[in-house]
Amino acid sequence: MWGFLTTITSLEFKGGKAFKPEEEHYLCMHWTVKRIFQAVFTVYVVVTLSFALIRLMPGGPMDYLRATLLGPDQTGTVDRERLNRQIELYMNINPDQPLWEQYVQYMSSVFTGDFGQSIWFNRPVAEILLEALPWTVFVMGIALLLTFAINIALGAIMAYKEGSRFDISMTFLSIISTSIPFYVGAILFLLFFSFTWELFPPGSRVNARLDPWTFEWIMSVLHHATLPILSSVLIGLGSGALIMRGNSIQVLGKDYLRVGRLRGLPEGRLALRYVGRNAVLPMYTSLMIAIGNVFGGAVVLEEIFTYPGVGYYLFVAVEARDYMLLMGAFILITVAVVVCLVVADLTYGLIDPRAKGGGYDEHA
Amino acid sequence: MAVTESSYSTGSSEDVIIETHDVSVYFEMDRGTSKVLDDVSLDIYREEILGIVGESGSGKSMFASALLDAVVAPGKTSGDILYHDADGSTIDVLSLNQEELRAFRWEKVSMVFQGAMDSFNPTLRIKGHFIETLKAHDFDVDEGLERATDLLAQVYLDPDRVLSSYPHELSGGMKQRVLIALSLLLDPDVLVMDEPTAALDLLMQRSILRLLENLQQRYDLTVLFITHDLPLVAELSDRVAVLYAFQFVEVGPVSELLERSSHPYTRALLNAVPTLQTPLSDMEPIEGSSPDPINVPTGCSYHPRCPLADERCIGEEPPFYATEHDDHQTKCFHWEDAISEIPLAHHKSTTGSSQIVEGKQSEEPVLTLDNLCVHFENNNSFLGLFGESQTVFAVDEIDLDLYENDILAIVGESGCGKTTLGKASIALQRPTSGEVQYRGDDIWAVKDGRSESDRSYSAIRRALQIIHQDPGSSLNPNQKILRTLESPIKHWKSDMSQTDRRSQIYGLLEYVGLTPAEEYAQRYPHQLSGGEKQRVALTRALLMNPEVILADEAVSALDVSLRVEMMDMMISLQNMFDTSYIFISHDLANARYFAGSVGGRIAVMYLGEIVEIGPAEEVIQNPKHPYTKVLKWSTAELDSDASQEELPLRNIDIPDPVNPPSGCRFHTRCPEARTECRVNSPKLEATDDGDGIEAHQVACFLDKPRDHPYWSSDQLVSEDNPTLVE
Repeated sequence: MWGFLTTITSLEFKGGKAFKPEEEHYLCMHWTVKRIFQAVFTVYVVVTLSFALIRLMPGGPMDYLRATLLGPDQTGTVDRERLNRQIELYMNINPDQPLWEQYVQYMSSVFTGDFGQSIWFNRPVAEILLEALPWTVFVMGIALLLTFAINIALGAIMAYKEGSRFDISMTFLSIISTSIPFYVGAILFLLFFSFTWELFPPGSRVNARLDPWTFEWIMSVLHHATLPILSSVLIGLGSGALIMRGNSIQVLGKDYLRVGRLRGLPEGRLALRYVGRNAVLPMYTSLMIAIGNVFGGAVVLEEIFTYPGVGYYLFVAVEARDYMLLMGAFILITVAVVVCLVVADLTYGLIDPRAKGGGYDEHA
Repeated sequence: MAVTESSYSTGSSEDVIIETHDVSVYFEMDRGTSKVLDDVSLDIYREEILGIVGESGSGKSMFASALLDAVVAPGKTSGDILYHDADGSTIDVLSLNQEELRAFRWEKVSMVFQGAMDSFNPTLRIKGHFIETLKAHDFDVDEGLERATDLLAQVYLDPDRVLSSYPHELSGGMKQRVLIALSLLLDPDVLVMDEPTAALDLLMQRSILRLLENLQQRYDLTVLFITHDLPLVAELSDRVAVLYAFQFVEVGPVSELLERSSHPYTRALLNAVPTLQTPLSDMEPIEGSSPDPINVPTGCSYHPRCPLADERCIGEEPPFYATEHDDHQTKCFHWEDAISEIPLAHHKSTTGSSQIVEGKQSEEPVLTLDNLCVHFENNNSFLGLFGESQTVFAVDEIDLDLYENDILAIVGESGCGKTTLGKASIALQRPTSGEVQYRGDDIWAVKDGRSESDRSYSAIRRALQIIHQDPGSSLNPNQKILRTLESPIKHWKSDMSQTDRRSQIYGLLEYVGLTPAEEYAQRYPHQLSGGEKQRVALTRALLMNPEVILADEAVSALDVSLRVEMMDMMISLQNMFDTSYIFISHDLANARYFAGSVGGRIAVMYLGEIVEIGPAEEVIQNPKHPYTKVLKWSTAELDSDASQEELPLRNIDIPDPVNPPSGCRFHTRCPEARTECRVNSPKLEATDDGDGIEAHQVACFLDKPRDHPYWSSDQLVSEDNPTLVE
């Protein structure tokens, strides 16, 4: 799925030819409109797919819901009309209508923000997800930014000291940390920090007895979020640092760095504006994709720390065969990835001037 | 007459700006110490232009870097480099600490690198590069930017536009000029240029040299110009030093070196360069190759390649000998004999000696281009809903015939569409409109199945082959040469036995000079030199028994001394295989050498159009179109007292092919342009001078009789500011 999205995105960087600056703005607008249109289309296709899944899955949500409503003995006294009304309430689909009407109804409700009713929690899906969303964004966002910042700094230092003992040992550690699945780390953290030393709480988002937005409440939020963030960051280090190291080494070999050095530029400027800036460029898109994947990546982590965010609910939905909640979370993740990719594409030109135009073609 | 052992110096020291004594650069490697500069001593005079010439791998870049103590680690520099400042103080460059070195570089000595394409931070605007340099050296930024604006205008750039551009928005020639401006920003006394023009086409090279001369005089610079191209530097320099195998072998004033060079290597270099004047038969390549830094021959390092070498040269290293001219010194035992033993080709006159081999061309053309156009669309419109997409007119309305055994050289600067024309002619690029016919059949009609002809597309495909510019990237690095060469035969002649196939390959490899063929066939591409790779590429094309080979800048990537050899071989193969060539080059001299040897034609292209076409010698000796004249001007002559005429162009940069100028496309740069040229576009027509050579055609009003409206319209010259681009 994500591969497919990335392909759509990466296609955009081809086909650039030299054009003059005055036309640049004009072309940019085309491109932006086109890109947004593509994104909307992708979301549309995904929602359509979710409709098809609901309809077509054998033993799928329809059958499941019917079975649940009819009760275990399948002889329930519920009449067919009431049953269908129930199904419609939960799933935005009335099985008695012709297919196209079902489709239109489903699509229009999804696009107006109505994802149906969760069977397990017996609450609207949208409400559950909306309530969980900020918590996941909070935990995963901080974890992600920290991971990237540390990885970039680490990778740049490793590149500068290429071949030194620091570089070799960090490369070794990076490979180890990359090969450990993060949930192993998370479970170890839980074991030592929560259960053995009791430094951090083993679950939940905040001490529910506190009033929101007081100082104690904020401290409690941070206290609860520490372990998930820490485990995600520590295990996330490594691969990013190795990529950054490779990029930086490449930039360090460039002529412009040599010329910059000959021009007597201070080392600090060379490190930040020359090496850092150019080495980070290729990582920007992967950062945006990672942001989009935050909700998906949070599933196991939030489950381990029983941290009720989007991922936690997704896990519950899978276990409870709560299809509507599952679909809601699924669509949410899709939208997040698509939006982040669009943002990445549209903003890439801001950080890399070369992405705007094609430049002059040297070879006729 | 011998001066002190392996050292070179002159008595007057007050006008010396940089002294070098026994400077070595070495790398410690597993196989031993690699000395890439071996105890060289040379004085550089204040305000001179010193050319340093050598083949690739002769250590010339190392000498340049050593002057700024900028040899890249793990290389080490030893010896003495003394810089004499204008105020009389002397700086010992190699003993400066980091901070002193930082101030010394760029303020006293600055450097322009080979790779201008890559000398700017791609995420920083040009202005940023100037500002950060000023700040790093505590110069006043506003004053500095004023100087920058001034410098940029001097190198024919529009300062405001360039300063606000990102590096990728500038063409290669523009970047190189910006880099020169940047290097002069802090008013240095010495400018070291390491192959500054190697990646540019000839016209841009020459334009930059001309600019450099002006700058040198205006800012009282001392310029060190390092290149592999002797004729290029000969016109510019006051003195030339020739570097061979990490040592200087000859130093002297440029006129001395050109007329009475006394080292066999220098003389061989002079003879290896194709020019417009030299008789074709007198050019000859230098045999052998330059030595490996780990394994330099004993005695005189040139002795394995030298025709004059004897026992003494093998056993003993020659000292520097002073020749009749005070300032001219040679490191050769036989310098007196060299002058008489090795005649210089450019000393013979050309007049009347042009012996053209009559080609046996057929009447029926192999390829016919009929009103051929190739336009590229900038494909950025949104589902075609909004507005015009832009069109690049790469090739516009070209008619051309190519016969059997024909040679057509297409000449023009970067961006003029010559590669696109070449590719379209051998059906690698589908034309936007017009036809390419192979022996009367429209190739694209055959491919699409629209043609009634019984000729198959694959047969046509096989008959039209290509040799690319970069031999390195056109061979699969993971395949042995044998496999690379075998696969096309396996595909086209699947019934051929392995023995036959291999013997055919070995035969051809031997023919192109790769002997022993069996051994070469087992090598991988990285085990071959550039010239050898290009031969393999040629072999691969020839295996198909093609009727036309497109050689796209096939010799441009090779060292000067190898070019002639490669072209000779291609010509001799033509006789053997009855092949026609389309030879693409930005160098008129190469085109002349290649096409002229067999009575071929030269076509001059400008912005998608052919502006002049005719028999090679005729176009070279009697150019009609101002653009051809400009190209001819750009081809350096081995002539030290070349006339100091002004740049024969009103504008250095080629216009954007997206929006070509109206009328004659050359009018924006043409020194002869008149208002008529802006309105009407001249047609390609036979020349009018009654010399009976009908094949010579030109598209210019200059060639029209006096009653043509061109002659009564106004000159365009001083109308727009010649120092501004666009």
